[in-house]
Amino acid sequence: MKISKKVVLIGHFGVGKSSLIRRFVENTFSDDYKVTIGVHIFKKKVAITEEDKDISLVIWDLEGNDDIRDTRTSYLLGTHAYIYVFDVSRPATYMTIKDDIDYLKQHCNKTLIKIVGNKEDLLTKEQIKQLNKEIEPLVDFYTSAKTGNEVDELFSKLAMELI
Amino acid sequence: MNQQEKLDILKNILLTDERQYAEEISKKIKILEETINKQNQLSQKVDPIIDHKLEEFIKEMPKTLGPTITEALKSEIENSKDAVVEALFPIIGKMIKRYVQHEMQLLSEKINSQVSNTFSFKSLKRKFKAKKTGVSEGELVIQEQIKPVIEQLMVINKGSGLIISEYTRTKNIDEDMVAGMLTAIKSFAEDAFDKKEIELQYIEYEGYHVHLQNFSSYYIAVVISGSYNVIFKDELEDKLLNFAQNVINKEDLDDTSKLSEKLKLYFENENI
Repeated sequence: MKISKKVVLIGHFGVGKSSLIRRFVENTFSDDYKVTIGVHIFKKKVAITEEDKDISLVIWDLEGNDDIRDTRTSYLLGTHAYIYVFDVSRPATYMTIKDDIDYLKQHCNKTLIKIVGNKEDLLTKEQIKQLNKEIEPLVDFYTSAKTGNEVDELFSKLAMELI
Repeated sequence: MNQQEKLDILKNILLTDERQYAEEISKKIKILEETINKQNQLSQKVDPIIDHKLEEFIKEMPKTLGPTITEALKSEIENSKDAVVEALFPIIGKMIKRYVQHEMQLLSEKINSQVSNTFSFKSLKRKFKAKKTGVSEGELVIQEQIKPVIEQLMVINKGSGLIISEYTRTKNIDEDMVAGMLTAIKSFAEDAFDKKEIELQYIEYEGYHVHLQNFSSYYIAVVISGSYNVIFKDELEDKLLNFAQNVINKEDLDDTSKLSEKLKLYFENENI
């Protein structure tokens, strides 16, 4: 049986959501319309070898918003997992993280949420450690769309949990 | 023998080879002069060289001059659009006219043969339909010629935009991506009007029409090629409504393969 799940990428402007997804996906439309309707759709089939299953992740890359409440709520309907992305080098992108996550939970309490600190290549390991202590709730992955670090791991883990 | 005579004899002995050589050169110069001065002879020598160079030039022309010519044409067309239109209009206009004439002739022949068969069952049925729907018989005949065809049918979850099931004649697009995009466009359009009860029902894309029919938790998107008219829309709506009410069960929405089978059975031999 075919399994498809909707994953929504959310976060501030310029945190690298689209770059992160481009590292991972195979199918996409031209992104010319993203400015018009505020979303770009990608698809990636992930094989879960342990379960001997394939899962299709249909990923909605939403246009970045400084305030998450400005996001079109109809785009969040029926979401199976959120990936909340922030930029580790710009505190403004993770200052409101707790409120943002609470807002998402208000919408769909049972929906899986992964918090991702992107552009980890811009900080040292010590700085990442320090940042991890400061941010609440806990960050699930520190990725780099530039080097590809932890990108596949993020989506594989997500696919596994969604199954 | 005086000094001069002695010197001549000595010259004869010492310069015999040079003299012969000079004579040969003189002969060759004479031949060359004749060749250059007589066109026929010169042409025999030079023509093969020019031909070879020309051949090479023709071969290389697209590479060397192509970009320059393209650029020049581009800027020329941009700078004098009216002149280009004026120059091309008679040619393209004639081509289009001829094509339209040909197609109209074919259409007219088909219509004539259908109308002449006045008392056939199909014709009587058409007359009845024309009376019932208020659409003229002629229009109905034309509609029959450019009959709409259902190319793809997708049952899509209203919220997530994920495809529940689909039926397609030719598999050439990624249905997951299309379903997601349709849902995003639908949500965007519906949000834009800020009226919850309004739902997007139709999208036109080049030669295709996308009919969207909304139900409580899902919607059905039908991709149609050909003529999409009011009669076809009504019939399609009825058929989809009937399918949703009488064929789809609640369990089908969780079992994609079962629903796909039902879709295929219901729409494969559709006669809308």
